[in-house]
Amino acid sequence: MAICAAVLCAAFVDPAEAQWIGRTAPHTGSVEVSGGALWSNGFDLGDSTAEETRNINSGTGPFGLFSTSSRLAPAPGGVGRLSVYVTRDLAIEAGVEYARPQIRTRVSDDAEGADAVTATERIARYVFNGSVVWHLPPLTFAGGKGVPFVLGGGGYLRELHEGNELLETGREYHAGAGLKYWFGDSRQRLGLRADVQISMRKGGVNFGTTRRAVPTGSLSLAYLF
Amino acid sequence: MRVALRRGGALATFVVILIATVPAGAYLKLGSRIGTRSMTLKWNRLPIRYFVTNAGTANVSAQQFQSTVTRAFGTWDAVPTSQLSSEFVGFTAAPPVSGDGATVLGFQNRPDLEKVLGATSFMVDTVTGEVVESDIFFNSAFSWSVAAGGETDRYDLESIALHEIGHLHGLAHSALGETELRAGGRRVIAAESVMFPIAFSAGSIASRTLKADDIAGISDIYPSASFTRETGSISGKVTKNGAGVLGAHVTAFNPRTGRLVAGFSLSEDGAFVIAGLDPGPQVLRAEPLDDADITSFFDGSLNIDLDFKVKFHDRLVVVPRGGGVSNVEIKVVSK
Repeated sequence: MAICAAVLCAAFVDPAEAQWIGRTAPHTGSVEVSGGALWSNGFDLGDSTAEETRNINSGTGPFGLFSTSSRLAPAPGGVGRLSVYVTRDLAIEAGVEYARPQIRTRVSDDAEGADAVTATERIARYVFNGSVVWHLPPLTFAGGKGVPFVLGGGGYLRELHEGNELLETGREYHAGAGLKYWFGDSRQRLGLRADVQISMRKGGVNFGTTRRAVPTGSLSLAYLF
Repeated sequence: MRVALRRGGALATFVVILIATVPAGAYLKLGSRIGTRSMTLKWNRLPIRYFVTNAGTANVSAQQFQSTVTRAFGTWDAVPTSQLSSEFVGFTAAPPVSGDGATVLGFQNRPDLEKVLGATSFMVDTVTGEVVESDIFFNSAFSWSVAAGGETDRYDLESIALHEIGHLHGLAHSALGETELRAGGRRVIAAESVMFPIAFSAGSIASRTLKADDIAGISDIYPSASFTRETGSISGKVTKNGAGVLGAHVTAFNPRTGRLVAGFSLSEDGAFVIAGLDPGPQVLRAEPLDDADITSFFDGSLNIDLDFKVKFHDRLVVVPRGGGVSNVEIKVVSK
């Protein structure tokens, strides 16, 4: 959505008029803090079969006692970020994300006819990451209040199972785009920030599929000073 | 006609103690009751020194017999999460039921034991509970094979030796297997433990390899530092209408590794413990003990409850590394 908005604006805004509100901010050394709501998409954790070794003359292949199909459910969460502008267009950013998605394992096809169930567990996920944010002044709109940006970076994934007694860690790399909309033009200003990202993750909670792409989206309140 | 054959079904003792299952840790372990104490049957002095009888049987020479059982001992010794070692001492003319303090493995012709391929007996110190001797006999009334790829209609000696040596180390039977009733007895459809009480059909060599359940069991009795540090346990109880279920077979399955490890509820309140589990979420399944004779696992005097449906626990149970999760309750219902 943010990318669409950026493209549309690029078509209608005269680049000569595209400039930052207030002209003096942000500047090198400006700081931006933001915090808000996060949504992470779910992903498949894979299928598995509880297998026993089959006796000769009783069929071929392993004997399936039951099957499982696991998925990490989509989950809401929170996000906080701190950005420092290196130039007027470029910022480096540190962020933390928190969510409590549920692992859902469908257990079925029992060889002795047990009822299928969905066994669950809720994990606590933290992502500590760093990003480079490149603002796109030529694409600003609404008199410079709307500022599209793209970003990319990497981070550390920390996922705690229920009971907090088992920690699984991993890495994540992300890329995305977004839009900031500032209310006002003073040096210190409040705004809204929307992000969409693809987060490539390795490690953390997984049932064998160690790499996955996780779409995320967030909407934050931002403060620039 | 194939018949289901029981391995290690005759656990005898040379001293007057009761060989029992011990309600501690994972798996089903052999134990002895000394007075009011219940002790896990285990060897305190390693390596386990064993002799082999100097007589073979049809199709198996004494030398082939010795190299085969040594290989089976080696398979147990090689479990990285346990501290076990064994040593072949030499050949002997003594039979494998001697009670002379020497551990002997050998053939005996026992046509009267028409369903017993092999059996393990113990002599236990009645003060400390330590195993001081254990003998294994292989029934030469059956046809045996030591061929690398097995032989049709002959029982694989290495597979049966691996099972019996598991008993010698202190493991009781596992119930991780499925059977079907046929004329003449049960036939195994599948099993995921070398310690399942009924052997695969003649010609199969599938039981030469230890499974996760066997490894968890042996590591629970002879744990290495890494076993204690890297694996975890689940404890809880199986209940029906609020009361404990005795003898329920509880299986833990790790969807990530595909490993199956099982235990039993071993007390009247339905308490169970499964140790040696990989860290991470586990699926739990409780089933009645209906794939082999109850006496293959428990004292026949116990009132094992078979009247309940197979049930999955509705929560994933997360096993911590080097620790345990407790108070898991699996509620089953009558059939």
